[in-house]
Amino acid sequence: MEIFDFIGAKLADFLTYTGFACAEWGNWGMILAGAFFLWLAIKKDFEPLLLIPIGLGIILGNIPFKAVGLEIGLYEDNSVLNFFYSGVKNGWYPPLVFLGIGAMTDFSALIANPKLLLVGAAAQFGIFGAYMIALAMGFEPNQAAGIAIIGGADGPTAIFLSSKLSPNLMGAIAVCAYSYMALVPVIQPPLMRLLTTKKERLIRMKPAREVSQTEKIIFPIVGLLMTAFIVPSGLPLLGMLFFGNLLKESTKTTRLAKTAGSALNDTIVMLLGLTVGCSTQASEFLTWDTIKIFMLGALAFIIATASGVLFVKFFNLFLPKSKKINPLIGNAGVSAVPMAARISQNLGLEYDSKNYLLMHAMGPNVAGVIGSAVAAGVLLGFLS
Amino acid sequence: MMIHKRFLGILMGLAVVAAAFGQGARSFKISEVVVSNTNGLIDEYGGRSGWIEIANTSWGTINIRNCYLTTNREALNAELSVPERVKLMSLIPKGDSRTNLSAQQRIVFFADGRTNLGTVHTNFRLEPGKPNFIALFDGNGKTLLDSVTVPPLAENQAYARIYDADGDGYKWLVLEGEEATPGSPNVGQGQGEDKIAEWKEKDPHGIAMSIIAMGVVFTSLVALYVFFRLFGYAWTMLSKMSRVRAIRAVRDQADKAAVMAKQGLETKGVDMKVYMALIAMALKEYEEDVHDVESNVLTYHTDEYSEWSAKGFTMREWPENLH
Repeated sequence: MEIFDFIGAKLADFLTYTGFACAEWGNWGMILAGAFFLWLAIKKDFEPLLLIPIGLGIILGNIPFKAVGLEIGLYEDNSVLNFFYSGVKNGWYPPLVFLGIGAMTDFSALIANPKLLLVGAAAQFGIFGAYMIALAMGFEPNQAAGIAIIGGADGPTAIFLSSKLSPNLMGAIAVCAYSYMALVPVIQPPLMRLLTTKKERLIRMKPAREVSQTEKIIFPIVGLLMTAFIVPSGLPLLGMLFFGNLLKESTKTTRLAKTAGSALNDTIVMLLGLTVGCSTQASEFLTWDTIKIFMLGALAFIIATASGVLFVKFFNLFLPKSKKINPLIGNAGVSAVPMAARISQNLGLEYDSKNYLLMHAMGPNVAGVIGSAVAAGVLLGFLS
Repeated sequence: MMIHKRFLGILMGLAVVAAAFGQGARSFKISEVVVSNTNGLIDEYGGRSGWIEIANTSWGTINIRNCYLTTNREALNAELSVPERVKLMSLIPKGDSRTNLSAQQRIVFFADGRTNLGTVHTNFRLEPGKPNFIALFDGNGKTLLDSVTVPPLAENQAYARIYDADGDGYKWLVLEGEEATPGSPNVGQGQGEDKIAEWKEKDPHGIAMSIIAMGVVFTSLVALYVFFRLFGYAWTMLSKMSRVRAIRAVRDQADKAAVMAKQGLETKGVDMKVYMALIAMALKEYEEDVHDVESNVLTYHTDEYSEWSAKGFTMREWPENLH
């Protein structure tokens, strides 16, 4: 009979270890949120490459367990998840993602029409508009900066900066940034319609000139020198972005560029998404700060989109009629590549079935990537 | 060549080590010291002693294990060997996760002369009422990471490294006992602990930050714009000039061909039909891709037999009067 008592005691003990016994309402809420992300990604096709790892990460991170030193949790030293999380915590995943972005991005549209760089710069006002609002809501300057960078619409930059300036808010900031990036097709079009007239939406832009290979090779080198000398604190992001682009454009390292843009990038995106999702444990995530961050994130996106569109309208005042820019590409100044550019294209075609804006919109879109990395460098330099 | 490669390898190795070092142990700073602790921080065993706080001032995680603390100035003597110097220091042991400091984290060491009590206890004591020299050495026992000479302090007073918002760095201040912050950022005498406090105080609405940062973003991108505008213009002009040169070259060739044709027809007595047939033959062979490897040049091949290359046609007729 003693053996049965022993088995009974051990079973009872085992039950205390199960997730069911350890779960709190917050865990169930977060698991539902993770499932919602998966639904959005799989059923609605909203950024599946990001939302599937994040969604499953949220579920994974919210499966509770008894803390008895099993070294399995994300925040426990020596656990596998903690090892994966080091790329987020120490900020080395984002530069690797930037390497992949650089290796995949064609800067031709920007080189052919460099004035579109200014549209990318103007859209960064979303970051600083959100920064001011976050300060007004009572966040500390470093926290406000971490939250505001969501307005750059650049997930890796948001993770990089928040891991440095406000690590305790990083989970919420990362999930918020990626969620709104997935929701760009919902957020931007109404604003773009609201801020433009029908006549402006019909502006046809001249096809961009052909860009030589020499110009494409010079761009990452000069781009790195000019931006990094002005903002050295942006080096990890800018350096890797331009390095990736040079691998692509040099035409001598095609193998490396392919790896950086596919296998390496995919690996990092998987680990980044999963661990960012995992970091949203209910006890850390379900707070008023998270709700505020989501509100501020939405505002940052709205301000960034509006400032990009309005800047183009303002810029058009000084341009001759033949060189006017269609303000529908102003939204692409946020660096959600290439979603924001695709929205410009779709909206342009909606009003004129022969007005193809995609290549023009790619200019401010990739300028936005550079602009948000520079903005992150400035904030890091001032507040670290 | 091999020597060059080795030299480059050594240089790169040194650069990597220097970079790792620059971003690593150098970021440890002695940040706060209490020499005489009678009613402040207690250790794991409930005892009180003087303590030394060390901060990881970087934004990365660094482990302070294997570094050394000392109060002995003789450890600075470069003439001593490393083993001799290390004997004068207190080793921070490995194997304790507390020594792994994340960004901006601090660790407190109790200067109680009792290393048997654990990782955060040193083999020396601080001397109340006297200046105390404290130095932190890297794991090699030679490289001085940071040092400070603490002036004579009253009981429970702290000597703290505080961000100097009005200067260009940090300064040391004597704080009263209640202002001591072991394991936390130092704040005292109304001084902000770092840049963040300064921004909060002087730019509470974020206007200055927005103006400066947007200015920098615009400056960076305008610089790129100007460069690529000028570069694009120069490149387009060069392309145009090279196209013009190419067109001129073709035109010159055509002119030369016309002159040759005219001279051939008019002055060298070549039959025009023969001339045109030669050109037609060359064109045909070109289109059938049987021209030789020289690009853009029409070449007439004479390898295969044809009436045009027949030996008989190339020979002069034997003069009749010789027979």
